Amino acid sequence: MIKYLNPSYIFNLTGKILNIVKFFIIPIAIVGLIFSLFLSPKDYIQGDTVRIMYVHVPSAWISLLSFGALSLLCIINFIFKIKSLSLVYKSLAPIGLTFNIIAIFTGSLWGQPTWGTWWAWDARLTSMLILMFFYIAFIMSYKFIRDPINSSKVCTLISLAGLINLVVIKYSVIWWSTLHQPPSVNLMGETTIHISMLIPLSVMLLAFLLYCALIFLMKYRIETIRMKKKGLK
Amino acid sequence: MFFEILSMNGYGIYVWSSFIATFVVCLYFYLKTKKTLKKLEKDFIKEAESLSKLELENLKKQKIAREILVSHSKN
Repeated sequence: MIKYLNPSYIFNLTGKILNIVKFFIIPIAIVGLIFSLFLSPKDYIQGDTVRIMYVHVPSAWISLLSFGALSLLCIINFIFKIKSLSLVYKSLAPIGLTFNIIAIFTGSLWGQPTWGTWWAWDARLTSMLILMFFYIAFIMSYKFIRDPINSSKVCTLISLAGLINLVVIKYSVIWWSTLHQPPSVNLMGETTIHISMLIPLSVMLLAFLLYCALIFLMKYRIETIRMKKKGLK
Repeated sequence: MFFEILSMNGYGIYVWSSFIATFVVCLYFYLKTKKTLKKLEKDFIKEAESLSKLELENLKKQKIAREILVSHSKN
């Protein structure tokens, strides 16, 4: 078990996984794009605008998943002080922020033809915007707080507060009357989306996840080299 | 046919903008990350080369440092 948490073992593994990810990402992304832009059907109410879902939904999921993961890692790191975990969450946060911004931007582009407005201060949209601020605060705290112990404490605090916001995002469409539609894909409950739309959505999600893995592995290597460089001085 | 795909019944501007913006952001983020990684590897090697022979030998005993030195020489 300890072997798997060893930074040198992980660093070596990242190099191997990077090559596998690079091999699969482009074909999967092309298949996903063909399905989502040309082969998937139009929605009977929204028409072609529904295609925005294929970039908007995976981005939103990834931004939520990343924050959930980094919160968990922060808490574990805070308790057990595992050096490699701080490298993991530092690598994860910029990816989450990027996908959060993509989700907000594409959501806005979807909102204009569907709701007649680019933005509304409704519960789902506002809580996603708040998540963006949590991401920014999180990144700022590990970039600008020099002392690693203090930085870890602040990161844990921000991630804990952000976790509450994640719950608000998840249930915002149920607790409040919002412009945003309720979830169509449920892991635990009934999925209402048609299979002809679920397949492109799944392929696009896979492509996005591979992209995240690619960036994450590169970022992990960056953080590890930075750490090693400090040791040289 | 081509115009139909492009216009998407008048919604093309929203759909294509979403996909293009996502693609551009992802590409920029990838290139930026790759550039930073290459630069750091280069800097690491430069600093390693400035070490004395003994220090360099000790550095090569560390797995991560050895892999950085090897992976960069491959590229």
